[in-house]
Amino acid sequence: MLDGRWWAIALSEALIPGSTLAVVCEGEELALFRDLAGVVFALEDRCPHRRVPLSLGPVVPGGLQCPYHGWTFEGVNGRCVGIPNLRSDERVPQRYTARCFAVRELNGFIHVWRGMGTPGGRVPAYDYQCGGPEYKGEAVIPISLDACRDVMLDGPQCLFEFSGVEITDFFYGDPRREGDHLRLDRGAVWRGKGQKPAFVRDFPLVLRTRVPLVGGDVWIELLDGDEQPLMSIMLAASENLRGTTRFCWRGFVHSRAVRGASFEWWLRRLTRRSPFAPVARIEGAELAALAVAPSRERQAWAAGRQDATRMMEGAQ
Amino acid sequence: MKRNPILETGEDAGRGSKRDWVPINFDLRDTWFPVAYCADVGQRPIRRIVHAQDVYLWREGSRVRAAELRPELLERMRHAATHFTAGSGMYPVEERYGYAWVWYGNPDSAHEALIPNIPFLPRDGFGIPRYTQRAVRFDASSPLSVENLIDLTHADFLHANSIGDGRSESDVVEVAATSETVTRTRIVTRKSVAPVMRWVGGVRARYQDLRAVLHVHLRNNVCISYPMFTPGYAIPNVQPFVPVGKHRSRVDQTNYTVHAPAPFRWLMPRISYVIQPQDNSVLRPQNARYFGPEERNDLSSRFDGPGNRYRLLMTRLAARQRNGDFSYGADADPSADISMLLGMRE
Repeated sequence: MLDGRWWAIALSEALIPGSTLAVVCEGEELALFRDLAGVVFALEDRCPHRRVPLSLGPVVPGGLQCPYHGWTFEGVNGRCVGIPNLRSDERVPQRYTARCFAVRELNGFIHVWRGMGTPGGRVPAYDYQCGGPEYKGEAVIPISLDACRDVMLDGPQCLFEFSGVEITDFFYGDPRREGDHLRLDRGAVWRGKGQKPAFVRDFPLVLRTRVPLVGGDVWIELLDGDEQPLMSIMLAASENLRGTTRFCWRGFVHSRAVRGASFEWWLRRLTRRSPFAPVARIEGAELAALAVAPSRERQAWAAGRQDATRMMEGAQ
Repeated sequence: MKRNPILETGEDAGRGSKRDWVPINFDLRDTWFPVAYCADVGQRPIRRIVHAQDVYLWREGSRVRAAELRPELLERMRHAATHFTAGSGMYPVEERYGYAWVWYGNPDSAHEALIPNIPFLPRDGFGIPRYTQRAVRFDASSPLSVENLIDLTHADFLHANSIGDGRSESDVVEVAATSETVTRTRIVTRKSVAPVMRWVGGVRARYQDLRAVLHVHLRNNVCISYPMFTPGYAIPNVQPFVPVGKHRSRVDQTNYTVHAPAPFRWLMPRISYVIQPQDNSVLRPQNARYFGPEERNDLSSRFDGPGNRYRLLMTRLAARQRNGDFSYGADADPSADISMLLGMRE
């Protein structure tokens, strides 16, 4: 593991005070818990005593208690602060710790620092500011995080959908680098209204995806023909077990008047249901048929980074 | 005759450094496994697994037979038989204490005298009521499941609602061992009476003393337990953790409650259906975590003494077998009468 980074791995409301949540980040199982004061902590999801998942245990005053033998671990540093039935003159050795991870909670996302270096800098959700009716969700999809990032560039319509919107395969130019993200726009039309995509001269909608070169924060925006946002979403993805990707998202609908929207879009708005959702079923055949196109830029960047890493390691 | 895959696995396991002692790697041989209740073996073959090795059991007349293959395939497939049956396809098998015991190891070393003594069960198995027999499955290797049984401190957390709050005036644990067995004795004074014993078992007192002896045979994971409650009665039981493989074990329990009052005697054996899912909730993920690329050793407290002794002795026995020594040490006699050791008599 090279550079450390913040990963948005859960929604704030998924963890009420006194509860735990098992998550996976970069393939490692973590136990999140929120103490009664509302502070969130992250420990490895493995008791160093007999390896049972700590996320199955209760939150107690002083930390998280293993469900098997009751060892208790402090959230702030992972130290074991309690072994049941010890005499008052017995102390738990200092080295008895569970690995712990820095946590930062901001704008409705819980972030965990993974990797080398001192936790610092902006967290992925720093720029997320809710500005309208908000919707959220979480899901696990059966493709790897790397593939997920590529599909978000090559064919995001395989992974998610907007109600009443048909996302086309026509993207505008090549991805543009914006910081450590690649931005790509593609045309979209209202479904059941107006002309089919093939006959549209100017697309009435634009789907903008900003996909990270590394990390898991994907930004999705549905824009109108004037490139004004209709809905903005931050989708936080992380590498899950068995080659799957776990993600949670939150987004909001802008309070702008929408011209010519489809019936489905309006219906969702009226019934206060989210116009955005992961597709009900990811079709393997569709994924396989996607041409590798904009994602080549990301792959080229990743390959260059690997070469640079190897050179650095060689120099050392 | 096929090569002996178990022996090869054992050699592989020996190459690891820190992973050596991990309680999923033990594959000990030359021992009897109580694979099924005698009452379950009839004319129609039943299948059991020991260390991922098939065992088919059936009766020819009144005699129990055990083979690596289904009886109708025996003649045709005998060439597939392994060293475990010396190429014959047929395992040595004995009936005792209500179980069908199958020999796992070199068949030339199979001696009836190596079947563990269970002093509270009738030797011929005659008259053991079916209500005392319950088969449960654990989602973990046998040694990890045995550790769970040896370990006492988990009950206060995992089973607090089922078997009491664990409060007592004093709680002393003693451990004794031979090269083939671990014996844990727990002496508790003035413990709260378990709800089930108080309300169904006729023990009206609030407190009782407990002397619980657990005798574990290392090679076959046969756990013989004699908990004596005062006031109250003994609830002797046998829990043979048959290793199905590295991830699962099967226990054909006998909770010999025949001397307890009704309806407790009928109810008590069924408590395993409550306890076992609670244990599985931690054993299942725990077992999986011993397969990871983890190099950190487990941490322990002084309460892990009996469990750690068990791990140490298992490691030694496994090391001895890897070096080709399958004999029983001079301090080991599985068939010796253990009624005094269990505290059944002074």
